[in-house]
Amino acid sequence: MRPSFYLFMLLLLIAAIDGSLLGAWRMGQEARAQAVAGRQAAVFAMGLTDLCVATEARYTRHPAVSDPVAPFMDHPGAIEHFPTGSLWRPVGLLAGS
Amino acid sequence: MKINPLQRQLNLLDYALSSLWRRRMKNGAILAIFAFVIFLLGSFQLLSQTLQSSAEELLAFAPDITIQSLVAGRQTPIAANKIRELADMYGITASSPRIWGYYFDHDNGANYTVLGLTEEEIGAMTGVILESGRLPGAPGEVAVSPAVRQSLDLAGRSAFSLFRPDLSQASFKVSGLFSRETDIVTGDIILMSLADARHLFAMPEDMVTDIGVKVANPVEIDNVARKIAGRFPETRVLTRAQIRKTYQVVFGWRSGFGSVCLLAALASFVILASDKASGLSREEKREIGILKFLGFQTTDILALRFWESVVVAGLAFLIGLSLAYVHVAFFDGGLFKPVLVGWSVLRPDLSLAPSLNGADLLLIFSWSVLPYLAATIIPAWRSAVIRADTVV
Repeated sequence: MRPSFYLFMLLLLIAAIDGSLLGAWRMGQEARAQAVAGRQAAVFAMGLTDLCVATEARYTRHPAVSDPVAPFMDHPGAIEHFPTGSLWRPVGLLAGS
Repeated sequence: MKINPLQRQLNLLDYALSSLWRRRMKNGAILAIFAFVIFLLGSFQLLSQTLQSSAEELLAFAPDITIQSLVAGRQTPIAANKIRELADMYGITASSPRIWGYYFDHDNGANYTVLGLTEEEIGAMTGVILESGRLPGAPGEVAVSPAVRQSLDLAGRSAFSLFRPDLSQASFKVSGLFSRETDIVTGDIILMSLADARHLFAMPEDMVTDIGVKVANPVEIDNVARKIAGRFPETRVLTRAQIRKTYQVVFGWRSGFGSVCLLAALASFVILASDKASGLSREEKREIGILKFLGFQTTDILALRFWESVVVAGLAFLIGLSLAYVHVAFFDGGLFKPVLVGWSVLRPDLSLAPSLNGADLLLIFSWSVLPYLAATIIPAWRSAVIRADTVV
């Protein structure tokens, strides 16, 4: 058997795995649409402004409506100490973006 | 005998694969590291992209305008009587006071978001999915998320109490439980009436946290916001477009973690790739010499090296990306979650459903496969121009 045959078999296997992932994604589409509709209803009814991803600091729980200075609220030279502050971009910088 | 170009490339590919297989430990290690780097890049891109698109589709239903009071750059309570002044403003259909804030649970370190709305607003809610019970309808009743119920350690009970600022206690009864499906927006919320929230936070009668405004014509939202800001210059007026814009940029490569972690991974990979490709061993040089004796041209050696790089980079790309998808879709981005949620005690079920688009694929490809191919061009050329008689 030529080596390229094994390569094509491997590519076929990866394609089959990716295809089944795509199939699973498509099968869950209806359930996902229902869940999104429920979330949208909650946002609309309660007037929510932010996603609930991190709940440790107010500027990562409510980045859209928290104070512009919240990430550095202790004093102007304060060092950011919440872990999520390293993944979430500070809201203060958004003013110019 | 003339071989057709396709057959020739296939033969070269076969030889390149045999060559890779001969040094399988070394090439396998490179493939694994490369796939891991692409997995990291892909996971980060998919996670941030999925959170962005979730925010985009959900916050399209956020309040048209939110009015806050700012003093010295910090949010302070706003006078509720501003609602009366807003009533005569053209284009506004409704304004509603809201009292919301955070309650820190000293027992377990969890932060809850307490949200107080008028009874009329709660009564008019439709479409909010509850796992059990009903929305609060009487004084002292609240609706909470399953995570909050668990954190309050309610077990079978429905009554609990929270401390007010003067350390007296406010008693509540859980009337309903939000569905887990809405965790990404309600994961830490305790919903109660405006009066109960005012009592809990001991907020003065004439003050609220912010005011939500509904505008009749969505096209006029910016104009109405400008008018409000003109009438109340001491306030911060946020439109829905600004809220959505925040989420377009809050996650991404420019965040500290994203850039430091992933650029470091990429840099280490480029160093590895160039090191692997630049140091030709004595055996490899000998092999090239023999090939040249057998009639291989410089272009053939270059094609051989090209196929080797393409096979390694292509396989790593496919494997890394597939694993990244599984990581985000089935494990909620578990590797990044510790940084994404930090010290949060309440960890909402994100139920992410990533969808890959062409732009994401191109971005990951150009950040990973192209640097690898670029890093192997010069070493491939150096190996291709070796004189056969100097190495054999």
